[in-house]
Amino acid sequence: MIRQALRDPLAHFLIAGAALWGVLALAGDPVDPADRTITLSREQQAALSLQFERTMRRAPTDAELDAQIEQWIREEVLYREAMRLGLDEGDPVLRRRLATKMDELAGAEVELARPTENQLREWYRANGGAYETGEVVDFEQVYFPTEEAAIAALTQDSPKGEPISLPRKVAKQDGEYVERLFGSQFAEGLLQLEASPEWQGPVPSGYGWHLVRLTRREKGLVPPFGDVRERVERDWRSRTIETRRQQAFQLLRDAYRVEIE
Amino acid sequence: MKYAIALLSAGLALSGCSQGVPGEATDAQRGDGTDTIELAEFPDRPYWGDTHLHTDVSVDAFGFGVRLGPEVALRFARGEEVTATTGMSAKLDRPLDFLVISDHSDAMGATRRLYDAPRMMVRDPTLRRWRDMMHESPEQSTRAVAELITAAANGEIPEALRDPERNAAATRELWDRHLDLLDRYNEPGTFTAFAGFEWTLMPGGNNLHRVVMFRDGSGRTGEVLPYPGIDGEVTGLWDYMDAYEESTGGKVLAIPHNSNLSNGMMFELTGPDGGAMSADYARRRAAHEPVVEATQIKGDSETHPFLSPNDEFAGFGVAGWELGNLPLTEKTTPDMFAGSYIRSALLRGLTLEQQLGVNPYAFGMIGSTDSHTALATGDEDNFFGKHTGAEPRQDRAMEEQNLGTREGRFGWHYLAGGYAAAWARGNTRAEIFDAFMRREVYATTGPRMVLRLFAGHDFAEGDWDGDWVRAGYTRGVPMGGELEDTGRAPTFLISALKDPDGANLDRVQVVKGWVDASGTAREKVYDVAWSAREMDGASDSPVPPVGDTVDRAKATYENSIGAAELRATWTDPDYKRGERAFYYVRVLEIPTPSWVLYDALRFGLKLPANVIEANVIQERAYSSPVWLRPRMAPGDGPPIMDEG
Repeated sequence: MIRQALRDPLAHFLIAGAALWGVLALAGDPVDPADRTITLSREQQAALSLQFERTMRRAPTDAELDAQIEQWIREEVLYREAMRLGLDEGDPVLRRRLATKMDELAGAEVELARPTENQLREWYRANGGAYETGEVVDFEQVYFPTEEAAIAALTQDSPKGEPISLPRKVAKQDGEYVERLFGSQFAEGLLQLEASPEWQGPVPSGYGWHLVRLTRREKGLVPPFGDVRERVERDWRSRTIETRRQQAFQLLRDAYRVEIE
Repeated sequence: MKYAIALLSAGLALSGCSQGVPGEATDAQRGDGTDTIELAEFPDRPYWGDTHLHTDVSVDAFGFGVRLGPEVALRFARGEEVTATTGMSAKLDRPLDFLVISDHSDAMGATRRLYDAPRMMVRDPTLRRWRDMMHESPEQSTRAVAELITAAANGEIPEALRDPERNAAATRELWDRHLDLLDRYNEPGTFTAFAGFEWTLMPGGNNLHRVVMFRDGSGRTGEVLPYPGIDGEVTGLWDYMDAYEESTGGKVLAIPHNSNLSNGMMFELTGPDGGAMSADYARRRAAHEPVVEATQIKGDSETHPFLSPNDEFAGFGVAGWELGNLPLTEKTTPDMFAGSYIRSALLRGLTLEQQLGVNPYAFGMIGSTDSHTALATGDEDNFFGKHTGAEPRQDRAMEEQNLGTREGRFGWHYLAGGYAAAWARGNTRAEIFDAFMRREVYATTGPRMVLRLFAGHDFAEGDWDGDWVRAGYTRGVPMGGELEDTGRAPTFLISALKDPDGANLDRVQVVKGWVDASGTAREKVYDVAWSAREMDGASDSPVPPVGDTVDRAKATYENSIGAAELRATWTDPDYKRGERAFYYVRVLEIPTPSWVLYDALRFGLKLPANVIEANVIQERAYSSPVWLRPRMAPGDGPPIMDEG
């Protein structure tokens, strides 16, 4: 139970917050105005060098690395001085930026988290409908430029139609595929027909009129979990991030009494 | 309290750095898609995409106001409904099959960072002013970015914004997270998400921009960063691309665009230094840039009436854009046109090939949007604008544009944008990228016409009765291919099928360019198929106009004219042995209303008569060319040329 709670991103968020608080309480001011030492560790220098290398595809020269370091120091000095002067207070942009970062922190754990198979399956059970495929159809079609010609041909056993660069036979495809090739008007018309071995129609399309032999119509299926696992995970992630942010905020929000005068 | 904030933000920044670790895309999604799906024997249908889309990561797009990022862009392209920055809900009528998010590599994410930066931290006075303008109002924000683009064009970008080293850390984090996101949305067989960026070379404001597009997933693309380029050289970009391919084993290509705004610099006869073009330069250009973008929101670059006076359909999407370079800091003079438009570039390529033995401008064609709204909209009745300031609202059609203000470019000069069609055997990164490499792609100005083109020596009318697609692939070459000159006139199988949810077709044309025996570059447009209509006389040429059913006030048209499909078996009547030539197909729809007339209806605008007439348009498709190449002698000898 406790282990599960520890895995909960919300718990991470709270622990991170508590830890920060602890550090603050113990260490006091992290940037002591009296402390005028700036330390640039070897690791940080290596990071600056690597950054340069990954952009320019070569290592920096000593002069270039010196310039990087100088720039870093300059920013650090100005940054510390700004904090000493309290320039961060009352800045609406900084205020919003930090609020955004709090939001991101709440979601960050979820971005990295590897959901368990059970979590995903549960999500899939609750939201499986969203993954339902369209109806699957098998059909043949022949094309006529005019409605009259199509109706006249309906009496024939195997109507010929006029040439057009569309597939004569379509097997095991869904409505979206049909719509992409034949247009929305045809896709709608086709799905109003019942499956039958006989020629039916005419069904209008953006091209003209079609006689159709719709031999199979199968209800859409909710694909098995394994087939849509990645989509489930992606959707789980984006939805969970949203929920976590909301929950984290609510937790913090509940600790405040807001008075609007 | 203030120190608490400092520590908190430092801690959060650290946790932010680790978010780029890929963790959830499957191996199939992370790679180039090879062996993930069943492939057709031959490319069986065109896959539709946009290779040129900007999100809030782009310096200018953010400044123009967009607040939607790459994830929303991907969801939208896949067909989901999203909320545009200005609050309207937005959805594509039909989803796209692939997308290249091409945010500017220069100062990637920098305007967002500038916008977010505490004011006192912005030391450069120009940057501080831009930052203030971005916060003041959407109009001021748009103005700030127009200033930024002009400054970039003039080489006056403040040092703080352009220094690649200083931007590198921010870019690294952004790029890693971005690549991870792309992998998660990349679903072989359903939707392809390509990594890419826009490289924004712009000497003197002349547009030499390229979209760079990778074939690979994050395992390889994560090895590099987008290459910055405002003041670089194109050979530097190719060096970068070569380094990527050599060090990762991946593949990458570049797509030049908006040559119409380059003032003749995109397709020069000379090398980049002004001297003679070298064979090496020509070879590298052809190898790295197999495709160009022929049409997009900022105009159409097929050809200009000045260059093609005998082409009655020349000049589509030229108005406004022909006046000058991108920021209109330099006006265009007619001598510049030949280096700015695609047909003349293809001709220059033939001439250069005769001199150098290699054609630098043997490229295919695609369309795209270049939308800066994160919304890849290409349809006239669903146009979300060039940038967020031009999302649907009352005044956008008649306003002066952000660029070239008061110089004669207005909102209504924007086109609704185009799309790229790729003939591929399946929807994966590898299949679609490879279609671009072999130029088996075509451009449309938005509608999804299905266009097939095969060239061979023995096609006949009877081929249409059988499996003509198989015949095309086995006995000829598809669009983008090269046909050997055997001494017989080439014959083409051409089929153009209308967009099933769009307008009928007016006609199909073949555009031929060649270099004659005297070395003169020539062009001719042939009508090869057209819908039924009253003909003027005995001659087929010129084919009279198809008519016009557009109701200007209601923004409607009727499919009572035009054809559903047009086919042609066409043999070049002017073929001469030994002449280098290219052939591409142009398909015209019947006249339809542009986005401006839909806007007029929606917002009750009173438009001037000339604006109304300019916005009854014939949308079109351009195939990639097929080239007729002199026959190679046995062995590795020089091409055989007819004497005299």
